[in-house]
Amino acid sequence: MSPRKITLVAGREFMAAVTNKGFVIGLLIMPVMFAVLFAALPRLMTASARDRVRGEVAIIDPTGRVAPALRDAISPSAIEARRTRTLNRALDAVAGNADGGEALRNGQPDPTRLTGPAPELHLVERSAGADLAEEKRWLTAPPAGDLRPLALVVVKPNAVVRAPGQKAYGSYDLFVPPNTGERIENEVRDALRDGIVTARLAARQLDVAEVEAMTAVPRLPSITVGPVERQTSVGFNRFVPFVFAGLLVFGVMIGAQTLMTSTVEEKSSRVIEVLLSAVSPLELMAGKVLGQMAVSLLVLAIYVGIGVLMLTSFAMIGLLDPWLILYLVIFFLITYFFYASAFGAIGAAVNEMREAQALVTPVMLVLMVPWLLAAPVAREPNSTFAIALSFIPPVNTLAMMIRMASSSPPPWWQVWITIGIGLAAACFATWMAAKIFRVGLLMYGKPPNFATLLRWARQA
Amino acid sequence: MNAIELRDVRKTFGAHVAVDGVSLTVPRGAVYGVIGPSGAGKTTCIRMIMSILFPDSGTLSVLGRASALEAKDRIGYLPEERGVYRKMRVGAFLTYLAQLKGVSRETADARVPDLLERVGLRGTERTPCDELSKGMLQRVQFVGAVLHEPELLILDEPFSGLDPVSVRLLREQVQRAHARGATILLSTHIMAYAEEMCDHVFMIHEGRKVLDQPMAGLRRQFDPRRILFEPLRAEAEVAGIAAMPDVSRLEAEPGGGYTITLVEGAEPSLAVARIAAVVPPARIEIARLRLEDVFIRIVAGGGGLDEAAAALRSRLQAGTAQEARA
Repeated sequence: MSPRKITLVAGREFMAAVTNKGFVIGLLIMPVMFAVLFAALPRLMTASARDRVRGEVAIIDPTGRVAPALRDAISPSAIEARRTRTLNRALDAVAGNADGGEALRNGQPDPTRLTGPAPELHLVERSAGADLAEEKRWLTAPPAGDLRPLALVVVKPNAVVRAPGQKAYGSYDLFVPPNTGERIENEVRDALRDGIVTARLAARQLDVAEVEAMTAVPRLPSITVGPVERQTSVGFNRFVPFVFAGLLVFGVMIGAQTLMTSTVEEKSSRVIEVLLSAVSPLELMAGKVLGQMAVSLLVLAIYVGIGVLMLTSFAMIGLLDPWLILYLVIFFLITYFFYASAFGAIGAAVNEMREAQALVTPVMLVLMVPWLLAAPVAREPNSTFAIALSFIPPVNTLAMMIRMASSSPPPWWQVWITIGIGLAAACFATWMAAKIFRVGLLMYGKPPNFATLLRWARQA
Repeated sequence: MNAIELRDVRKTFGAHVAVDGVSLTVPRGAVYGVIGPSGAGKTTCIRMIMSILFPDSGTLSVLGRASALEAKDRIGYLPEERGVYRKMRVGAFLTYLAQLKGVSRETADARVPDLLERVGLRGTERTPCDELSKGMLQRVQFVGAVLHEPELLILDEPFSGLDPVSVRLLREQVQRAHARGATILLSTHIMAYAEEMCDHVFMIHEGRKVLDQPMAGLRRQFDPRRILFEPLRAEAEVAGIAAMPDVSRLEAEPGGGYTITLVEGAEPSLAVARIAAVVPPARIEIARLRLEDVFIRIVAGGGGLDEAAAALRSRLQAGTAQEARA
């Protein structure tokens, strides 16, 4: 085995794969587009709201109590406070608990970064008996000063105090000029809600802060009881196992499939015999396997990189355990060598791609089976079923990846057993494949079946 | 030391015996021709020499090693099954092959344009392989076989499917490699090429060696003792020739002219002078040794036009015609 020749073969294999137009379009441009989109999206959203909106909101308030409360609730500082509260609630929901939300908030010091500056809304009170038709005209008429009319609020008479015998409180009518942004309308509605609630509470002599404190129940993470107590993850973390399992399968498929295609191409174009006059079959196989491995790792790096970029962009990077990426790489390599051996051997055995399909299908099924079992394994990562799966090659690495990314990871010794078994299986597969590779490369004729492949492996 | 040695090598594929107890010794610096009809076992022999196939029994050595695997970088090989990476550019493909043979990238890059020019493919370095014609690709592959200046050059049917100009260009390159000191082993089923290029021929038929001789010895042994004759005037009386003591037989050829077979021991050069004196010739020449005839005489035994010989001749010619079409 000459390392120099293996490197040369690997280099050609890598370059041939990454300079292929289909590869560039399918694997690089798409994710790059996604990345640009995701990185740019929050900034685009901010940009559209970058200019501070200034304008007037007219109110017709027959109760006389909503307008003063609204004046407080519509001030820029109140709007900002409300936005922060909404954002925090959303982050808590994504993270699954208040602590996770807190972690997210660490990377997100200023909510205005996402939402832009709070609008400057001036409240104009109209008399209770104002003419509605005339006020509507005010909304659509060109603005007199530099403040443009943004909304007209007509509060119902029973909005603060219920009419006798009624269960529900009254609300309000909201009139807006054409082309009012949804954001401004929502700000006005949110302010109105706060203002009306405050007015209602005040009408019954209740303290607003007291009621807020009484109705707030923070959602704390549940704790999984075991030898080591851990907080149960929900929300975003629920998807992590599937993302990692998907990356693993995807990476392996890219490399192993391309390996098979390029081997079949070398065989069907008959370039193989010239190659074999320069390198041994083992050197050729080693070079090809390593070259495609580099391609797969490049693809994985791109996808993981995009994932990290997205999480960073949405300030959720705190949710990702960096160790998982390391294990993804380890498990990827083990799984890759196993399947690359299988696909390489198939590529060497057949005459053209069409014949490969019959042999590839069962191998693909084996690769997809754990993917189908991902849901039960992720739900109960420490069930007997999940533990057994994580010791049976070649599905063991994928099962273990899902378990490790789940909320209750397995003990370390199990991880290392999986790695050990996986390595042994990969070595065995490579050894078998090398034999089939050597025999198959120069065999032309009847398309082989699995029995033929086994006979070749025994022969060689 | 010999460049190639095969001792009693045998190879079977299932029930089919492809090579049956073949021995072959190629001395260094020789130009050896492996000839025989298609399917005779030439390519199997060459693949065993290249350690692409392994013999069931028998031993071999290549450039002093037990296997060509140990001397890969010193061997240039143009396989019968030819192929390129279709998407690669010609220059990159050749440089890659040379690098695999241990040549540095710089050296390979420097040699490629010159060699391409010598085989009539100047300026194709940047052309993707799949834009070249079949004949052009064959010349590209020939360049791939000689780019690393090998000590031993093994060419399996190097001229098949090529036009005469390309054949001449490649033959010049083979001679150039030979002049540099390389040992050449080439297989062909077109025996005329072997007659012109080789100093030694090795004939194989149905897996067995049937002839292994220097061309010089062959010429002596298989002297055709025939003179091709065309009289100046078509209606000339040729009975006088048939009556000459040197002449054993006179046959009219379908295309006009005659084939004169001499008696054993007759000196062809004297016979030519005597024949020309009897009937003025438009053309008169001593028939060249034809390997095809030698082959048929050996395989069919005797040399008469019996059925076996006729069948063999038609097989050989069918192969040649097929090549001409390709």
